[in-house]
Amino acid sequence: MNEIVSDKSWILLERCPIQNEHDIVKARQVVRQFGKEAGMGIVDQTRITTAVSELFRNMFLYAGGGEVLVEKGIVDERNTLIVTCIDQGPGIANIELAMTDGYTSGGGMGYGLPGSKRLVDRFEIYSQVNKGTTIRVMKWK
Amino acid sequence: MDFNEKRIPIIKIRDYLIVSIQVDMHDRLALQLQTQILEEIYRTGAKGVLIDISTLEMVDSFIGRVLSGMASMAAIMDAAVVIVGMQPAVAITLVELGLEMPGVDTALNMELGMEMLEKRLNKA
Amino acid sequence: MEANTEIKNAKVRIEHIEDVLSSVAAGDLDIRIESEIEDDLTGVEQAINLLIDDLTHELKKSIKMKEDMEDKLRKIQDQQKTILQQQEDLMELSSPVSKVWDNILILPVIGTLDSQRTQIMMENLLLKIVSTGCTTAILDITGVPTVDTQVANHLLKTVTAARLLGAECIVSGISPAIAQTIVHLGINLSNILTKATLQSAMIYAMKKNEQLVDGKVKTNFTDIDDIQL
Repeated sequence: MNEIVSDKSWILLERCPIQNEHDIVKARQVVRQFGKEAGMGIVDQTRITTAVSELFRNMFLYAGGGEVLVEKGIVDERNTLIVTCIDQGPGIANIELAMTDGYTSGGGMGYGLPGSKRLVDRFEIYSQVNKGTTIRVMKWK
Repeated sequence: MDFNEKRIPIIKIRDYLIVSIQVDMHDRLALQLQTQILEEIYRTGAKGVLIDISTLEMVDSFIGRVLSGMASMAAIMDAAVVIVGMQPAVAITLVELGLEMPGVDTALNMELGMEMLEKRLNKA
Repeated sequence: MEANTEIKNAKVRIEHIEDVLSSVAAGDLDIRIESEIEDDLTGVEQAINLLIDDLTHELKKSIKMKEDMEDKLRKIQDQQKTILQQQEDLMELSSPVSKVWDNILILPVIGTLDSQRTQIMMENLLLKIVSTGCTTAILDITGVPTVDTQVANHLLKTVTAARLLGAECIVSGISPAIAQTIVHLGINLSNILTKATLQSAMIYAMKKNEQLVDGKVKTNFTDIDDIQL
């Protein structure tokens, strides 16, 4: 699993801290707003908002919070909305397992990561045990 | 609990409870609503619950789970739950997420939801 | 004639030539070597001036060519955009959803389905279900020659999503070829209500809605009484 690299040409739209449940609601509304501004259709807006909601919740539940970067840029010659979730939590020991449908470590239903991946165009994950996890999702316009 | 936390109102009409979710719920609020509705079913002896989610722009796995959990819990208490007015984009996203909510009754609008409950009660 | 008179002020004039050449190298094409004296060096000076003239001419030509190319590229890009737009329009046109009876929608699908078209179709159908309040939708795929796994999954998704809205979706007109493909691909359509023909789907829907009782059509329309089917 490679570290997640950013492109210098991307423009940072907003930086949202995730510390409590209200931050989750606020941050997903921010993502929807930028999706709308990027010209996404209503279904794609809902897809990206739902996908990031799953990720924000994971961050809050398993890592006690973290930070979210919302960026826009050109990826593979397409206008793209990029959302990166960074936490300093316990990390994920077995990413492959965490990405399996139905697997859960925290009493949920296990739709979080694999479900979120199905809703976006690109999904990157990097995790180090005891250091933290970075997950980046992208949605084309 | 915060004092400025909004409570979602539950309205009782005849044998039914009517709930309209109009805010983007965080997880705790969703769980709180679940408890509130079950308590109201217990208190009033309502036979059916209509939950209108037509203004909800997003239902993720947690809220989906709370909604379908509520249906199962209410069923044990002898009350039927109908989820009303889900938006197409929300339905597509839920299916793609892998949450097909089997066993949860749904209706296009309040009127059809009410008819559905009435038919069910007449049969019973 | 004295030898040293043939080229006058040689040093100054060569320096001037050097200055002019470095100006040209720096991009100033309007500069020329000026000299009032006529001698052996004059030929060199004139030759250099001619060279600068040629250079200027060529440069102008290539700039114009570049502009032309860019113009053409822009035109091609515009055309590309138009084609994409038309494709999108066509996709929307090719999946009309009509209300055929009280409470019943029909989406006749004709032609090959690709993933994108199926997706747009699905969205249109769901939107129409909500806007008309019809609780039954018939997806007729009589006119579809073949489906692949992705398309079959999209159809499956549509039916499930329609159920979440509170509507029932019936798929009709599955050809033998498609039935074979679906089973071979291992796609489970058992949760989907399928009917052989559009007609049987329609009869099923009307019976379910209590619009067809004992072979007689009941309707809320004022201009029709009972129609004998």
